Amino acid sequence: MNGLAREALDTAVARGAGYADVRLLETLREDLIVKDGRLGGLDQSESRGIGVRVLVDGAWGYAATDDLTRDAVQACAAYAVAVGRASARVLEAPVRLAPEPAHRAVWTSPCAIDPFAVPLERKLDLLLRIDAALRGVKGVTIAESFLTFIRRRQRFLSSEGADIDQTLTRSGGGYAATAVAGGEVQRRSFPQAEGHHQTMGYEFIESVPWVEEAPRVGEEAVALLKADQCPAGEFDVVLEGSQLALQIHESVGHPAELDRVLGLEANYAGTSFLTLDKMGSLQFGSRHVNLVADATLPHGLATFGFDDEGVEAQRWPIVRDGMFEGYLTSRELAHRVGDARSRGCVRSDGWNHIPMIRMVNLSLMPGAGTFDDLLADTDHGIYMATNRSWSIDQLRYNFQFKTEIAWEIRKGKRVRMLKNPTYQGITTQFWNSCDFVCGPEAWRPWGVVNCGKGQPGQVADMTHGAAPARFRKLQVGAGYDD
Amino acid sequence: MTREEARAILQKAAAAEDGREVEATLGGGRSELTRFANNEITQNVSERRYVLSVRVVRGRRTGRATGNDLSPDGIARLVRRADDAARLSPESPDLLPLPKAQKYREVDSADAETASFGPDGRAREVGRAVGRCKDAGIVGAGIYETASGTIGDYGVISTLAIANSNGLFAYHDSTDARFSISALDGMASGWASAESHESRDIDGDAVAARAVEKALRSRGAERREPGAYTVVLEPAAVSDLLTDTAWLSFGALPVQEGRSFLSGRIGQKVAGDNITIRDDPYHPLHKGAPFDAEGMPTVPVTIIERGVAKGPVYDRQTAAKEGKESTGHSLLPYPNPYGPLTGHLVLEGGEGTVEELIARVDRGLLVTRVWYTNVVDPMTATLTGMTRDGLFAIEGGKLRGAVRNFRFNQSVVQMLNGVEALSAPVRVGGVVCPGLLVRGFHMSSVTEF
Repeated sequence: MNGLAREALDTAVARGAGYADVRLLETLREDLIVKDGRLGGLDQSESRGIGVRVLVDGAWGYAATDDLTRDAVQACAAYAVAVGRASARVLEAPVRLAPEPAHRAVWTSPCAIDPFAVPLERKLDLLLRIDAALRGVKGVTIAESFLTFIRRRQRFLSSEGADIDQTLTRSGGGYAATAVAGGEVQRRSFPQAEGHHQTMGYEFIESVPWVEEAPRVGEEAVALLKADQCPAGEFDVVLEGSQLALQIHESVGHPAELDRVLGLEANYAGTSFLTLDKMGSLQFGSRHVNLVADATLPHGLATFGFDDEGVEAQRWPIVRDGMFEGYLTSRELAHRVGDARSRGCVRSDGWNHIPMIRMVNLSLMPGAGTFDDLLADTDHGIYMATNRSWSIDQLRYNFQFKTEIAWEIRKGKRVRMLKNPTYQGITTQFWNSCDFVCGPEAWRPWGVVNCGKGQPGQVADMTHGAAPARFRKLQVGAGYDD
Repeated sequence: MTREEARAILQKAAAAEDGREVEATLGGGRSELTRFANNEITQNVSERRYVLSVRVVRGRRTGRATGNDLSPDGIARLVRRADDAARLSPESPDLLPLPKAQKYREVDSADAETASFGPDGRAREVGRAVGRCKDAGIVGAGIYETASGTIGDYGVISTLAIANSNGLFAYHDSTDARFSISALDGMASGWASAESHESRDIDGDAVAARAVEKALRSRGAERREPGAYTVVLEPAAVSDLLTDTAWLSFGALPVQEGRSFLSGRIGQKVAGDNITIRDDPYHPLHKGAPFDAEGMPTVPVTIIERGVAKGPVYDRQTAAKEGKESTGHSLLPYPNPYGPLTGHLVLEGGEGTVEELIARVDRGLLVTRVWYTNVVDPMTATLTGMTRDGLFAIEGGKLRGAVRNFRFNQSVVQMLNGVEALSAPVRVGGVVCPGLLVRGFHMSSVTEF
């Protein structure tokens, strides 16, 4: 198989590519779903193929195939060059790549228990036990639980001499209880919406109290049907970690992607308010706000040895003490912000798609104090937990989130459950209103596994670490205020 | 892949054997996309991929395995793995045996010229579009996509051919061409798109001209206060709102589970008299696949007729629960937690143009398209999202200046009860729908541009 990658690389260069890289991938995936006591899905999938990326006359071409015969792979590489040649017909300036050492390495993510070697019966038994615990709660209408395992092995070769063999194993799962009555649909998820995932083996699944938490989750879903409607107006809001993780993702991560900033995503995902003049000059948030990009975070979903253009994993600040400091970059665009080297943020979701700038792990650094300290410090506010929906404009200013559940805080205590909580704001106003971030004991790594970007669309995953934090005077209640 | 090539692969996978039934599904093809931004081509990609998915049914147990090694050994391995999974899976008491052979309508939506259009043809059209932008002092960004087969966005592959061990076989090939352009002038922007099964229908220059005109008109947007507005929604905006609503509400599963605004309301008035919504792959603007992922023939379904809820779309499982026949809307591999889905929505329209809708508005807004819609409340189909790429004031039946973009929070059910007029339908975003004149559309906050 590896001979094919070399064959593709040689063909691309022989056909006129000024630069070429080749990724040969094999991906294994297992998805198990149990819904209402029945099998909701059981699929074991494998995908293998090769993607060839070239620069021809300074323009990009990419071709990918799953026909792994020698002739087909050579034809694929030749076609990538033809595609690049067509790109050069509409080109303003040739692409130039920031230098990167030609790494030759083998990198494997930690995996103590191979999830693909764990018997299917054991995994299904766990899901059925969760399902029974959820449906054991009177009033739960729908119970859904799932496990997902992914192993991706990639060989990366470049015409500069890079040769990287990388294997990543991801494990995750989650569940939700839905209660339907009186024209309302309420849901509670565990541990977060879309489940919890880490770059680990089955030992991650064994570390989570799935079954133990299920009765509480079910009871909260049912209780929400009778809870008071979250009031509308201006409130101090405490956000739980997984909700804050999505807030970081949408309002910090995406606008800091340099391809968006420079207009390369303008037709679909949009551009960014973090224009180049903002670096080092924009007070993005309050002094409590420190956000760090980190492709070396232990067990992060965007933790790797090297990105998909062979750049070594790095860690750097995006926002320091509230000041906007850095972007997520690629070899193509690093020079646009005066950087000599890419930050290593280029990934693709498979052999079939071209790598592009994707968020690495991006976390809000912990402050000080426990969650109880934060509550005790809050005279009147609303505590919102677990994302239910999200939306943000194409420059990443105006956002609106809904969470599954909230509680009113009075004089430092949670006093009543509230349903249908929403909050809305403008990104920089929001982060500048942050006046309390809980400490390391409350900080958790939360995963996002459904990040869509690009044309054709690609799905990426990444981790956002966060501890609960407080934001002053947010607009609460949109969608339920009239 | 030809019909006979597909049949040969599927027959290897779905060979009959005692004690088990086998269903084999093949999807894929070739998808190519030229992407441009800042008036130059920035990405240009081609993907050739075929995926075989095998499902084995043993009594009340089922398992699936999926892969893209189509060699005889690869196919045999998939069948073995699916069989192993079926043996180990828990019993599903309501699992159905696989269907018998079915008859299908012929739909011709594969065009040889589109299948071989290639990167040079796309570069030519992109060059024309970019030229139009440059002439106007505008920055263009967009795509030209051509595809043959069933590779969808985000790599999702739908059914090209299906066979099972009961003798069922179905095959449908198609091509698609899609052009989309954003014209940018600082924070002002315009947008336009075109889509067809045939690349000869795509005129990059004409699409760019529409986007540029919007961008130029979008300069100097003024801030307006949030509130309830009379709006003219262009078809692209209607398409997005309907797609989300259909996902939430028009499949039999959410209706049966009480999660849809149609739940318990079949036969009742749920929308205005002027609202008829169908799912119809045979509509001349759709020309979609005549069967679903279970191999069942897709039947046109009227979901809402002149405001009255008629019923959702079904797959075999949800239909059996109500003693009905499947309508052929199993769009995802069975089993899946989403149930049947609409794939070819049609909102019937009127006769006139969007300009004629604008002429009927004394004071309101024209919405070019909406962006990042998401669900706020499922039972009322309340969605939030942003206006994008051209929000304009309407005064005295005429377009005036640009308006800063709003975030909306709007119940689509309420909207469908307040549609005053509809333009002629077009196909946009995979939906056939008109522009709408709607009273009382809820704009809830303003953004910075």
